[in-house]
Amino acid sequence: MPEAWRITRIGGRAGLPDAQASFLYMQRLSAILTLFLLILGFSLASPHFLSVNNTLTVLLQTSVIGLLGIGLTMVIITGGIDLSVGSVLALSGVMSALAVRSGIPVVPAMSVGVLTGAACGGFNGIVITKLRIPPFVATLGMMLIARGLALQITGAAPISGLGRAFGQLGNGALFRITETQPNGFPTVIFPGIPYPAILLLIVAIGAAYLLRRRQIGRHIYATGSNEEAARLSGVRTDRTKLYAYTMSGALAGLSGNVLMSRLVTAQPSEGVMYELDAIAAAVIGGASLSGGVGTISGTMIGAFIIGILRNGLNMSGVSAFIQQIVIGFVVIGAVWIDQMRNRN
Amino acid sequence: MNQSPLVEMIDIEKHFGGVRAVEKVSIDLYPGEVVGVLGHNGAGKSCLMKILAGAMQPNGGEIRVGGRTIEFQEPNDARAVGIETIYQTLALADHLDAPANLFLGRELKTRFGNLDEPRMLEAARKVLARLNPNFTNLRDPVSSLSGGQRQVIAIARAIYFDTKILIMDEPTAALGPSETKMVADLTLKLRDEGLGILLVSHDMHDVFDLCDRVVVMNKGRVVGSHAIDEVTKDDVLSLIIKGELPADWSARNLLERAE
Repeated sequence: MPEAWRITRIGGRAGLPDAQASFLYMQRLSAILTLFLLILGFSLASPHFLSVNNTLTVLLQTSVIGLLGIGLTMVIITGGIDLSVGSVLALSGVMSALAVRSGIPVVPAMSVGVLTGAACGGFNGIVITKLRIPPFVATLGMMLIARGLALQITGAAPISGLGRAFGQLGNGALFRITETQPNGFPTVIFPGIPYPAILLLIVAIGAAYLLRRRQIGRHIYATGSNEEAARLSGVRTDRTKLYAYTMSGALAGLSGNVLMSRLVTAQPSEGVMYELDAIAAAVIGGASLSGGVGTISGTMIGAFIIGILRNGLNMSGVSAFIQQIVIGFVVIGAVWIDQMRNRN
Repeated sequence: MNQSPLVEMIDIEKHFGGVRAVEKVSIDLYPGEVVGVLGHNGAGKSCLMKILAGAMQPNGGEIRVGGRTIEFQEPNDARAVGIETIYQTLALADHLDAPANLFLGRELKTRFGNLDEPRMLEAARKVLARLNPNFTNLRDPVSSLSGGQRQVIAIARAIYFDTKILIMDEPTAALGPSETKMVADLTLKLRDEGLGILLVSHDMHDVFDLCDRVVVMNKGRVVGSHAIDEVTKDDVLSLIIKGELPADWSARNLLERAE
């Protein structure tokens, strides 16, 4: 292995071996390259693509996929899958909104949403580990259960009138500079860094720390790599999986708060098919659907590829139908890359 | 032997539905001896070993370690009393490297509860070098290592911690001649250090070279338990295949004793 790789290797610490790290490095490189090509292509296609405002929009849109993707990365590394995150996102957002409407202050109300998500994830984990239902089926069930609950408790109607404070998380920004014009209206000099982007960064760093530096992270990798071996080595694989699914649910709850806050309305029908974007983000970022492989930084790159693809296609006036087709091919392509890697 | 046994398995039973995999099996193991556990595939050897390793829970019977009855809920319970296992499958996490596998399930941590990678790497370097001086690629995923190297990691993991009882399930099945010799030498060395070793093997040469005693299982029962010098390979084969000693065994044995 060339010395340069050793220096720049990505999985250097935390028991991720050099050879795997160098492979991830190559894949990471191609993912970053794809990202730059997308940015280059879209900025040529639309002059507004690289504007400050649109960049911030991309950050905002990506943060939801990114938060879901982080949870899914943990689940995918254990060798599982979580199809329920889009529905759990909706249920959690609805629960937060109902909590606000019942008079609970915004921060504890949003915690209700996160706890709802964690409970859904925990339920997934218990069904998978105790009833021995395959993750695909268990989380498919939760996908229907959470969506049905969200629609049932709201009567399928959006919840509005949530107040300014509820919209702060999704619409606020750090370092926003505004100036009051002579006519009394404010103008935005610098739109600031959106709170969702900051939240994503914090959660990503926290999750990467868990996976790389903590025992639970090591056990998540070991469980996905060889579950029986991990169990015989004293890893509590059931508890490890329960942890991963609960985290995935809690992060779906958090992203539900972000999304509903941005709309300042709780939409029980939001987040349909978001799980596929999140899975695609993780797989594009190098996570293997057969388990044992994946990184948070990779998933972040994957989330930005999906986010920029959606935003760029919108900006270039590509219809929503064509967008679906393109993303569909991207997902197939990403899984194909995963298959190729496993064959090596 | 006048020492007290390290471990006693008494009337162990294990059923899978209507299938009786292990029926009222009792085996004991003393410090400084190698006991061979033999039998056909499906005779219940692996099942019994998994029960002793805490990886499987028996339906009946008891396990005494150092005279104390202990119930194993999970592999960690068995490891806590010094029972380590080298599985035939090696039980390694392929995507992780050697130090990560060596310490899997009992990772070293820093004061802040983070994984202590440098300390684990250093410890792995030392213990692996003792078993195989050519082992230098510690940071490679174990999936890319040779069968012998993987075996070395599995062995290192079983003897690094305070081991009193070692279960070896077909430890040489996947190895070449030089590696097989390494494992054999190591087995005898560990025995001389006072470990009790249970060796599950199909290899009659290994068994007669290494074991002090053989226990033969057939259809879930123990059909024979003999000191190695009171049986021949043919006797053991007869026990394995027919579940009984050859008709002339006791006469032959009496004759030998008399000589």
